[in-house]
Amino acid sequence: MISDLQVITKRLDALFVRKRNVRYWLQVVDDPYDQTYNFFFDSRLKGHREKSVPLHTITHYDLAYLETVIISLKKHTQLSVLYEGFTGQHWPSNYNIIQKRRHWDE
Amino acid sequence: MPYDYSDEPHGVFFLVDNKSFYASVEAVMRGLNPLKALLVVMSEQANTNGGLILATSPDAKVRYGLKANVSRQRDLPQDERLIVVPPRMNLYIKRNLQINNIFRRFVADEDLWPYSIDESILDLTHSYKLFGETPLAVAKKIQHTIRQELGLYVTIGIGETPVQAKIALDVYAKHTPDLIGEIRYATVPEKIWTLPTLSDVWSIGHRTATHLEKIGIHNMHDLAYCNPDQLTAEFGIIGGQLYALAWGIDRTLLRERIPVHDSSLGNSQVLPRDYRDQHEIETVIKEIGEQVASRLRHHNRLAGSLSLSIGFSYAASEQTGRGGFHQTVNIDPTADNHIIVENLLMAFRSHWRQETVRNIAVYTGKLAPATGQQLNLFDDPTQQIKNLHFQNVMDMLRAQFGFRAATFARSIMPGGTAINRAALVGGHNGGNAYD
Repeated sequence: MISDLQVITKRLDALFVRKRNVRYWLQVVDDPYDQTYNFFFDSRLKGHREKSVPLHTITHYDLAYLETVIISLKKHTQLSVLYEGFTGQHWPSNYNIIQKRRHWDE
Repeated sequence: MPYDYSDEPHGVFFLVDNKSFYASVEAVMRGLNPLKALLVVMSEQANTNGGLILATSPDAKVRYGLKANVSRQRDLPQDERLIVVPPRMNLYIKRNLQINNIFRRFVADEDLWPYSIDESILDLTHSYKLFGETPLAVAKKIQHTIRQELGLYVTIGIGETPVQAKIALDVYAKHTPDLIGEIRYATVPEKIWTLPTLSDVWSIGHRTATHLEKIGIHNMHDLAYCNPDQLTAEFGIIGGQLYALAWGIDRTLLRERIPVHDSSLGNSQVLPRDYRDQHEIETVIKEIGEQVASRLRHHNRLAGSLSLSIGFSYAASEQTGRGGFHQTVNIDPTADNHIIVENLLMAFRSHWRQETVRNIAVYTGKLAPATGQQLNLFDDPTQQIKNLHFQNVMDMLRAQFGFRAATFARSIMPGGTAINRAALVGGHNGGNAYD
């Protein structure tokens, strides 16, 4: 069984090519319809369109589990993480707010 | 004189369509509102020449003036707010099934007809009263349920016949704030006859519209008040259908599915670049031929006819004045790789004059049930049986472990496309594994 973290990091490493003038970040989405957490790899060359590539879907819909994945992921990469759909939710371990306010297109 | 509708069927039909389906699904997966997001789904396969836009979110359509659903990457502005995402065809198929399962709560199985990946026809004649006072109330309930459970917005056309529902959907529902349009027999004059152009109406294309213009019919009102006999004389059966269309008449019984008389089975593909070399072109013909043969075996069918269509590249068709060629050959019913490929190659070699090729399609017809192997008297029977066994083993391997589990060596030769295409669904990216 391949772990969620392994799938994410393997795909991320293949996509993260560190080009000039390109901003890279990770997007983590709380999907209440499917009861999953969806991971995307986003990038944008300055002045160009944003590209968003699906990395993985975590089907174990539990915030504590997501937190462990994120903590391990942060040890692997320093890419910033953008959270969507998490307004009003807190990380179970330290009760920090995950996403401060809704984005305009949520 | 108004038409007497008393003998026509008076039902309650819904035509439900997903608003910018692929784009909406992708928006929801990213936690975005499908109606607010600026998002396009773009296929970037080798054969799309830089990128093919499969779907655009409603707001992106308005903001960037993208009209046709299928447009090219070059028509898309470079805007930092716009999100470009790759397609995931398997996900869209899954969503379509989920949506149709929601419809099944409102209608019986036989009253539901999935029309395409994002459209379904529902016959609520017998069941709408269980869910609301009026068809409109039920439509709102369906919209609400789908938004609640899947996050998607649907547009609904309501009519007393399927064709009224379809026109209500295409012309009205897509432009109203509540995403619902309704046409009844009583409102046909104000809703259908007032449409300014004929080709706005479902089933009237540019050619039919031009043909109608030629005989003095310029809008739907003219069509409703022309002589139906004259229409039939001019268009044949379609003439009568056009006349019915203008009056919103459609006697289709959704429950009675139309049996297919002569089904066919085939595959086609656009090549990733111009192919000039005979060996390369034949490699792809062989691959498609084998794929079609394998599908025949999977469906337990034998093909009695084979057609090969070759489309030339743009430059070659300009030069030679022909866009390609098409040949159909009749064969003894078979699903054997060798026989099918051999016939395809013969057809190809007899017509090909060194033109560069961009499209290849293989279709089989006159399908018969495969009841057993027909041995050929002139070949070694043991060898024939062995061949069939070999193909069956290949099919089983691929069914269990995927197409790439066993491929012919020629597929890794220059020009082969089978390995790359194996992961695609409908020619586009199917989505990630382990998802």
